[in-house]
Amino acid sequence: MVRVPDGHPDRRAADADDVSAHGSIALATDFTLAERVAGYVPLLAHGAATTLGVSLVAIGIGFALGAALLGVSMSPGPFALRRRAVALYVSFFRGTPLLVQLLMLFYLPSAAGVDLPPPIAALLALGCNSAAFQCEILRAGLAAVPRGQVEAAAVFGLPARKIFKHIQLPQIAVAVWPALVSEAIDVLKGSAIVSVIAVTDLARTGRQIVAGNFRPLEVYVMVALIYLLLSLVVVAVGWSVRRRLTGRWAARAPRVATATTAGLLP
Amino acid sequence: MIDFELIASLLPSFGQAALRTMALVAVASSGLVLGFVINALRVLGGPAMGAGVMVWISVWRFTPFLAQLFVVYFGLPAVGLSLSPFQAAALTLALYSAAYYAEIFRGCWDAVPKGQIEAAEASGISRFSTFRSIEMPQALVMSVPLLANQTILVLKESALASIITYPELTLTTGRIVAERFVYVEPYLLLACTYWLMTLAIGAAGRRLALHIEIRRGTAQ
Repeated sequence: MVRVPDGHPDRRAADADDVSAHGSIALATDFTLAERVAGYVPLLAHGAATTLGVSLVAIGIGFALGAALLGVSMSPGPFALRRRAVALYVSFFRGTPLLVQLLMLFYLPSAAGVDLPPPIAALLALGCNSAAFQCEILRAGLAAVPRGQVEAAAVFGLPARKIFKHIQLPQIAVAVWPALVSEAIDVLKGSAIVSVIAVTDLARTGRQIVAGNFRPLEVYVMVALIYLLLSLVVVAVGWSVRRRLTGRWAARAPRVATATTAGLLP
Repeated sequence: MIDFELIASLLPSFGQAALRTMALVAVASSGLVLGFVINALRVLGGPAMGAGVMVWISVWRFTPFLAQLFVVYFGLPAVGLSLSPFQAAALTLALYSAAYYAEIFRGCWDAVPKGQIEAAEASGISRFSTFRSIEMPQALVMSVPLLANQTILVLKESALASIITYPELTLTTGRIVAERFVYVEPYLLLACTYWLMTLAIGAAGRRLALHIEIRRGTAQ
């Protein structure tokens, strides 16, 4: 199977198929703007649900993989091999465009005879990309807990698991939370590119509507506004959770810089 | 396994495409100047101006660059403003990154101790002179590593210009793949090209920051 990316001339035939799905939307010219917008809302809401679902799963994959990478990089081994391998992974995923990572995950397995379905390739690309950023966020969070506290707890005979649960985790959670929220917004925004490999998310739904009614300005402005709304919801949820975190643990734990301010690459 | 002759044959078209990517990033870097101006408006303007600036920055930061690109490239022709793929990508990238650059400047301006500004005010120094001679020299030095980091993000986002058919690195690779039906070598070369470029910008940023520290005698 030859895969044809969006934006290529060959792709237009495929787009024409998509039109038939939504071709009837507000094609008539006598609809007012408000009526047309009302017609877009259910379709865009469906796309937004896909965007939200893809982003949530990708953030989950990114957290699990990021934590695992951090664990591997901190485990002892010869020549600091594991630490270097993780550093290489992080440098690659932070140093190349998400779009390129997505295209590689989409095309390279198919060259080897394994066709990843677009949604799986999308989740893997977003998840592996976010893992690199979340690994560094968690590393900074772990470093934010003074070593003396851990040593003191060990001297008092607290087992490692209890030290982690009662001393490190509460402070790490408060320290990394703002950076994780910022990373979640980056994943949400970055997820728009999965439309390129034909995942029908919010951005792709917008393109399909435009292909049917030729009103790009109002449709794409609405798409952008819905992304804005989703981001603001993430910010609001982030704030309320942070208030609870700091309330429960009443800690003025040091903050970790957000991913964009965390310093230079790699 | 990897066909190095094929990679060699791809190098000329990759070189050209890399130049187009660099041209795009260079023009879009004017977002740095715009970000500085946005921050200056926030600092020197009144509270209403400050609130307006924050709304502007939030709109650009909390929407995907791809959606912005679609509004500018596909949407603006409806109101009579038709831009070429390069113009649309450069303009959108500049406006998008300006919001991030403005946030960086905001952080660095906030890091200048408030006491200095109060002292300047008490000494009768004008607000503009305080901005220019007291806040700016300190804030700009702090901002250098962050600005380099943001420029890396601009380079990475520039790959999306391929979706509106500007033939930079990513689209050129897509075309090679579609014409020749080879996948592995072009995509590996593409990833390595971007990787080298981001590493180079990062190294240049660190050098510049170190150079400034040495000049100011604050290097450790």
